[in-house]
Amino acid sequence: MEVRIKRADFLAELMPMQGIVERRTTIPVLSHILLQANSDRLQLASTDLDVSLTSWCEAEVKGEGGIAVQARKFLEIIRSLVGDEVQLVLEDERRLSIVAGKSRFKINGLAPEDFPTLPTVGEEEKVELPFTKLKKMIGKIIFAVSTEESRFQLNGALFKLKDGAVEIVATDGHRLALVENEIEGSRDNDGVLVPRKALQELQRFEDEGNITFCRGEHHLSFSLGKRELTCRMLEGTFPDYERVIAKDNDKRARFVRKELAEAIHRVSLLTGDRARAIKLRMSPNQLVVSAANPDLGEAVEELSSEYEGDEFHVGMNPDYLGHFLSALDTEKVELELKDENTQCIGHPVEGQDRRYLCVIMPMRI
Amino acid sequence: MASIRKLPEELIGKIAAGEVVERPASVVKELLENALDAGAREIEIELVAGGAERIRIRDDGSGMSAGDAALVFDRHATSKISNFEDLLEVETLGFRGEALSSIGAVAHVEIQTSDDAGAGVVVRAAGGLVEPPEPRPRSRGTTVEVASLFFNVPARRKFLKTAPAELRRVVEVVQGYALARPDVRFSLRSERGTVLDALPAGNGLDGLKRRVAQLFGEELAAHLAEVDRSPRPGTSIWGFVGDPTTTRGRRYFVFVNRRLLRDRAMMSSFYRAVRETWHGSEFPALFLFLDLPAAEVDVNVHPQKAEVRFREPRVSSDLFLAIRRGLEISLGEVDAPLTAAADLAGAPLSWQGEGGRTKASLSGSVSAETGDGNLAAELHEEALPFSSSRLAEISYTPPQRTPVPLSGRSGAVRSLRVLGQYKGTVILLEGSDGLYLIDQHVAHERILYERFRADLDHDVPESQRLLEPVLLEISAAEALRLAEMAADLEGSGFEVTSMSGGTVALAAVPAALRPSQAEKLLLELAHGGGDGGGETGHLRERLLDALAASLACRAAVKMHEPLSADQMEAMVAELFASDQPYACPHGRPIVLKMTDRDLESRFGQR
Repeated sequence: MEVRIKRADFLAELMPMQGIVERRTTIPVLSHILLQANSDRLQLASTDLDVSLTSWCEAEVKGEGGIAVQARKFLEIIRSLVGDEVQLVLEDERRLSIVAGKSRFKINGLAPEDFPTLPTVGEEEKVELPFTKLKKMIGKIIFAVSTEESRFQLNGALFKLKDGAVEIVATDGHRLALVENEIEGSRDNDGVLVPRKALQELQRFEDEGNITFCRGEHHLSFSLGKRELTCRMLEGTFPDYERVIAKDNDKRARFVRKELAEAIHRVSLLTGDRARAIKLRMSPNQLVVSAANPDLGEAVEELSSEYEGDEFHVGMNPDYLGHFLSALDTEKVELELKDENTQCIGHPVEGQDRRYLCVIMPMRI
Repeated sequence: MASIRKLPEELIGKIAAGEVVERPASVVKELLENALDAGAREIEIELVAGGAERIRIRDDGSGMSAGDAALVFDRHATSKISNFEDLLEVETLGFRGEALSSIGAVAHVEIQTSDDAGAGVVVRAAGGLVEPPEPRPRSRGTTVEVASLFFNVPARRKFLKTAPAELRRVVEVVQGYALARPDVRFSLRSERGTVLDALPAGNGLDGLKRRVAQLFGEELAAHLAEVDRSPRPGTSIWGFVGDPTTTRGRRYFVFVNRRLLRDRAMMSSFYRAVRETWHGSEFPALFLFLDLPAAEVDVNVHPQKAEVRFREPRVSSDLFLAIRRGLEISLGEVDAPLTAAADLAGAPLSWQGEGGRTKASLSGSVSAETGDGNLAAELHEEALPFSSSRLAEISYTPPQRTPVPLSGRSGAVRSLRVLGQYKGTVILLEGSDGLYLIDQHVAHERILYERFRADLDHDVPESQRLLEPVLLEISAAEALRLAEMAADLEGSGFEVTSMSGGTVALAAVPAALRPSQAEKLLLELAHGGGDGGGETGHLRERLLDALAASLACRAAVKMHEPLSADQMEAMVAELFASDQPYACPHGRPIVLKMTDRDLESRFGQR
């Protein structure tokens, strides 16, 4: 293998690889990136066996071949080099020389055969949608994806195609976020579970174009420009989420989103591991947010609201509310409530999405 | 309907015998108690067919006069008490005067006894019929032979197990008394030969330890920690408790005034102490003696005297504290595991401190982003051979600090000087008797646990409702257990409702627990796991323990977190002032100690 590439192009494709590579892995090859030169391309691949990313950049290829190199060091080297061009030459099977300007590195690597074979994803189902739209939707629900490994079916979000629309839902058992938007040319399906890591990596991408989503038997792929992200589908049954979205919450209160978010943030400064709830006391046109912590003290803040109903209060985890409020992009937010034991349903007022809501279960304090 | 009749004397005897004599082991028990009450120094037991055919017990105690011997088979004939007041201050093992008459009612019994060398008598009884005493010379002491047990109660006889099984029960009984009296020689023979022969081992803790070694082997004796506590004048709690390697075989022996008991209240003090110390469901060996004035304890609660009542309500918490202290010792004084010397030889020493190290980098260009701290790798870099000149750069010298006097709950003041921190993980301390290593995460966890646990006693724990109730499939019996616990569960943040069959719905969980932790805890409670008895008595405490442990684990300082010398000192001081400085709420050890002797021997000085 002998190639000459533009350093900036190469770096742009190299950086997203970093997110895929496992930080603390017991399988050494998974901390490596696979480089392969053929015809006029240098192809890159990285994987943690669940999520994989492939990409390529244009290159002047004088000799084909490949090697797997240690991802972190390789990126550091390429980033620290000067000059517009980098030359990569395979010295022998396990040794790559990197030359740029007056710098010369020879780094050890692994044979390409040692790198895992990446899955090829069938095209049983194929949908195209604008990437910026998808990215925004992911940002609106990803906070609700569970991080608890024991409930693996909640470690991802549900992607569900409806006639002419896509719906993405995430929940961790305490709260649930759902966003739905129109897309062209989709048909109904029963939904697939996309792992959290894949969602996170998608969020890092920048692109104005369309992303193509394909569903195979066990894997999913997202293709965007040169990059293709593939991941294993999560198995398991996702909760019947429509059922937990209460329809009879009769108390509706509207707030200026920024005011509410800031008040909650300030009051939550006095919450901690042991006393994490804040109390929301609703009364006509007013909300009192408060927190009391035996270690730290108390905090209270009043703010105005559009609310006409009876006075009552409810306890809630301020992070859950906070995550939702910062994912929102509207000026106002509405909370639908009923009593201290019933879920709170938040949604934007005059939002862009066809449907966006977040269900938050209360806490007893 | 049959008219009411007065029962014949023989039948009354058989009924009473049923309460006392159940199997050969209970005969052996009664006779051993008599022998010990008579001041025997040597007791020989012989069994045939596990005791069903013949039991012979010979002692060198005070024996009986011919006149007393004539009365032994009368019911409630005893020399040990004479009026009701005596009953309140029983100091002997037997006292009801039931034993020999009961045994005499259901077996052939022959007693040879002599209170003085030479002048002895023999009395016999069979099926409740007593023959008049005959003179027979014998040295001082008593021999009781019980043959054909239950010969006249076929129903009972049928319930006897095989000879080996009955023998095993007798061995258990003999072990109990042999532990109670290490100063007395006990031997037990069956038709197959000697089963057990324990020579007099002396008194006190040393005697007991030797006796344990005689009965259960040196291996077990080597894994015991002392329990020694006198909460009040006249009351002492002493003995041994094992470390976590001794959990096999249910070797729990509890004695009150040298009487072996299976008292549930006392056992639950033990279970609780173990749970608090290492949170396991397995229990170590226990040889525990509670000695207290006879007037403070009521042993006349149970015909087999297996349960007692205490007049002093603090006894159970005294026991708890004494056992827990023993468990602490069993965990805390563990020597540091010895790793191969080669592992240590090449390891670089590094100070994580103010003056710190400068980082050299291979290529000359120093990367600003040194990443998320793979300390091992960094340390390795520093140990590269060409870096010898850099020794001068490592100019950090630890400031001289005065030792902090630390007093644990045991009251012992120790002087420990903080030496530094190893890999941001372990605090090193110099003590007068060795090097102490403290796991900072676990130590902090222990400190926080105690703080949180104390708060939970008066706070109501927060509860998080679940989006969708989690359904748990359990048995109907388990569901009932949970229903019984409903109030305590709710008080700690759970909301559990029973559905049809064995299904329960979990609608809210304590906010301090992750969902999976909450489910696991609930299932454990439903199974009645955790302690042998499965009693629900300490349920609320257990729930709160679990919450505090979970909170503490999350809030504690993690590994690879550099601490300043002041922080380390504060943490160590607080740790040793805590209730349990030697094990974390999950039971992991906090402190390892390498004694001076360990170090010397490893450097080949001894």
